[in-house]
Amino acid sequence: MTEFEAAERRWREAFDASSGAGKRLANRSGIEVQPLYTARDWPGEGAPEAAFPGEYPYTRGIYASMHRGRSWTQRQLIGLGTPEDYNARLREILAHGASAISLIPCNSVYRGYDADEAPVELLGTCGTVVNTVEDMDRAFRDVPLERISCGMNDPSPFTLQALLLAVAKRRGIAWTRLTGTSNQSDCLSHFVANHMFFRLELAGARRVLADHIAFCNERAPGWNPLSVVGQHMQQAGATPAEAMAFTLCSAVQYAGDCLERGMDPDRFLPRFTYFFDISISFFEEIAKFRAGRRIWAKLARERLGAKDPKSWRFKFHAQTSGADLTRQQPLNNIARVTAQAMAGIFGGLQSLHTDGYDEAFSTPTAEAARIAVATQNILREEARLTDVIDPLGGSHYLEALTDRMQERIEAIIARIDAAGGMYQAVRQGLVQRMIGESAAAFQRSVERGEQPVVGVNAYTAEEDPDAYRSLDYPERARMEAHVARVREYKAARSNDAARKGLDALARAAQGKENVMAAVVEAAEAGATHGEICAALRRELGFGQPLIVV
Amino acid sequence: MPERPPKVIVTKIGFDGHDRGSRVVAASLRDAGMEVVYTPPWQDIAAVVKLATEEDAEVIGISSLATDHLLVPKLMAALRAAGLGEVQVVVGGIVPAKDERELLEAGVARVFHPGAALEDIAAEVRSLAAKSRAMKERAFP
Amino acid sequence: MNAPATWAERIRAGDRRALARALTAIEDGSEHASGLRAALARYATGARVVGVTGPPGAGKSTLINALIRELLARGRRVAVLAFDPSSPFTGGAVLGDRIRMAEMQADERVFIRSLAARGHLGGLAPGAAAMVQVLDAAGFDYVLVETVGAGQSEVEIAGLAATRLVLCPPGAGDEVQALKAGILEIADAFIINKADSPDAARTERELRAMLALRHNGPERPVLRTVATSGEGMASLAEWLEARAERILPMISTEEELHGPTT
Repeated sequence: MTEFEAAERRWREAFDASSGAGKRLANRSGIEVQPLYTARDWPGEGAPEAAFPGEYPYTRGIYASMHRGRSWTQRQLIGLGTPEDYNARLREILAHGASAISLIPCNSVYRGYDADEAPVELLGTCGTVVNTVEDMDRAFRDVPLERISCGMNDPSPFTLQALLLAVAKRRGIAWTRLTGTSNQSDCLSHFVANHMFFRLELAGARRVLADHIAFCNERAPGWNPLSVVGQHMQQAGATPAEAMAFTLCSAVQYAGDCLERGMDPDRFLPRFTYFFDISISFFEEIAKFRAGRRIWAKLARERLGAKDPKSWRFKFHAQTSGADLTRQQPLNNIARVTAQAMAGIFGGLQSLHTDGYDEAFSTPTAEAARIAVATQNILREEARLTDVIDPLGGSHYLEALTDRMQERIEAIIARIDAAGGMYQAVRQGLVQRMIGESAAAFQRSVERGEQPVVGVNAYTAEEDPDAYRSLDYPERARMEAHVARVREYKAARSNDAARKGLDALARAAQGKENVMAAVVEAAEAGATHGEICAALRRELGFGQPLIVV
Repeated sequence: MPERPPKVIVTKIGFDGHDRGSRVVAASLRDAGMEVVYTPPWQDIAAVVKLATEEDAEVIGISSLATDHLLVPKLMAALRAAGLGEVQVVVGGIVPAKDERELLEAGVARVFHPGAALEDIAAEVRSLAAKSRAMKERAFP
Repeated sequence: MNAPATWAERIRAGDRRALARALTAIEDGSEHASGLRAALARYATGARVVGVTGPPGAGKSTLINALIRELLARGRRVAVLAFDPSSPFTGGAVLGDRIRMAEMQADERVFIRSLAARGHLGGLAPGAAAMVQVLDAAGFDYVLVETVGAGQSEVEIAGLAATRLVLCPPGAGDEVQALKAGILEIADAFIINKADSPDAARTERELRAMLALRHNGPERPVLRTVATSGEGMASLAEWLEARAERILPMISTEEELHGPTT
């Protein structure tokens, strides 16, 4: 017996005699978690190129310098009220040093309606109401669009981006200078989970997405037209391994659509980005991201035939998971968000949003939003988490877990492939069923107390429900004034030009022309967001997700 | 005559599309022996009233994660106007404390917050269903 | 108190709440049910009762949604009884058929009721026939009955519906072989829904071949539909209307109405 084996046996005996023995633990993806990991659990470096950041398959990070060179983008999601309300909040954030911005539109906008088509009590409560070019212009007043990266939360048919492009043109800013991401472009994830973004029937949304990718690659090459979203599915109950697997399968599906159109993978893949949830299952999330990078690099190179390393790099934005936050004892959420953010940072993300502690009962108040941003600054600058690239690399546990997560993810990918790919799998309800089962299993584990949640099923305390402020809803009068403005806009513009733009859009949808180009032209001709969505719903069908209980 | 299973509608009004919670609750109510009519999100108020009428529902469970609960008072009024005052309504999801009071004043029987135990939800729904049934039997010969 | 007569009047006057309560009374086997049925019996003018059956996933609900659209366009009023299985362990059920009928459910000329089979082996609840009669008396031209899609429900539907549609979804395996003998006998028409599938042509050939082996009875159509797009639905509606002209609806006498319970 070697010295290592002897020492291991001594430890094993001492452990088995202790109170920790006999407990079997598994993480959310179902992978068993041992009490201890040693060098034996991780065979070693493997191929030399795996050992360094910035080198295929990028396990340790997609760039050579990662956060030590340049910090992740701090991109806080904001959206509320009228365009003016949004502009005021936006300018505050920029003044406080945010390096990138985003726009969350009102739910009425997500569903494809103009303000004059929606119940006024729901307007502006969860996001900003933007329906027209004027609205977009006001939302970004005095904001240098050519110097700021913009995350547009904007599902098919990308009307908000079209309005933004129209505003840029007005200001004399070339579209080639715009940078940003279409954050809600992943129609497969909307079909499966978080259906609010699902406006067009799936086949139609898929076609418009491919048109959008082609349009942006050509006319707005600094823009990321696609963000493949794992977040919705994980929030709907998918395990971390499932969320990563489904995301990769969706990416392969969309890439396949582009390849079928004869597009060059090295042209469109570098502009594919990803968006993930970060749950509080700390190590599992870090391993998830590392495994995801590795798997994507292989898929891009071997399955999709990409030759440019830029195509193999898995660039992702991540958001701390609201599903782990509680309404009870809400200040505890600050601790949760800190743990989640750390996992994302160690996982090598490119962009981070941290939730406000009041996420479980309110659109974030200014104070909660400030703490969320401060959390990131503290982790980076006081805890100095970014001084070392991939600091947990080489940890026996983390490397072993990365390998286990990789196996689990690849097994799920194989299952989706067997079903004919992600599009077929979601049409059949396979993905929905898997997510439903995982959600139910998690719910059961919480109900049984197997998964403690502080303040909810453990460490509970009497609370005053009024102790925490929630965000005030926008004043009814302000929203009614906005609705009136939308009506005035429709009355004052050239209806002929708008009508012509919408007719051309309908024709493009009926034929094979690029729908995105037609959406942009319609927006430039004065058509509103709601009108564009309505026209495409008529041509391509109203999105009804497949519900599986 | 054996006790009839409670007849419950689980639905969403307004714009939000998150349905993880409503699906989990629907499955749990079924497991508790209830008959659950499950709808997709984005039902408008008139559709919910028609649905409650046709299904002769005893309880309507509204799942609300964004601010869609702000429409519930309108729903309560519409139900009463349609002669469905006996139907009991519960709301589950993200509802700030100040809004909860308003909902209860508008006639909502109970508001459930995130973290509510499925068992408690089932027990409350069962008791509300019995209440509704008793009220309906008085209203109908 | 002449309760059943009042109740019947309200149903005749279009009171949907009263109608729904009547269905509940029948479903629960309450003592009000038979009085009500008696009060309504003479108003049953012979609604066209169409059974829709087939395995889970065949698209029954989606087909019904599309069929309702066609029938409304032809000026008909349509009621739907949609059955889902009850859990044998808990007695509960998720009634999800309305999910696929969301588009048509809002129309005033449409009435949809979801029902749990409540352990009834046939897949229809007891009293289904009585419910059909009440809907007929309430003024609906068509009553579409969607069965659970498993077990012996296909046989039970034979006693209830004048027209039985059997959905046979295309697939890569031997769905046609899997069709139980009972279904082949009772079907009045076969529908290959999701006909845009690459397997549809093969499934149709196999089905026609199997039908050809059984020479007995009149030729029964095999129709292809894509319920989600509406393809083939107009033909189906036309066939139903023509058939109703030829064959009087069957629910017309008290004897025929006797179901397993009150």
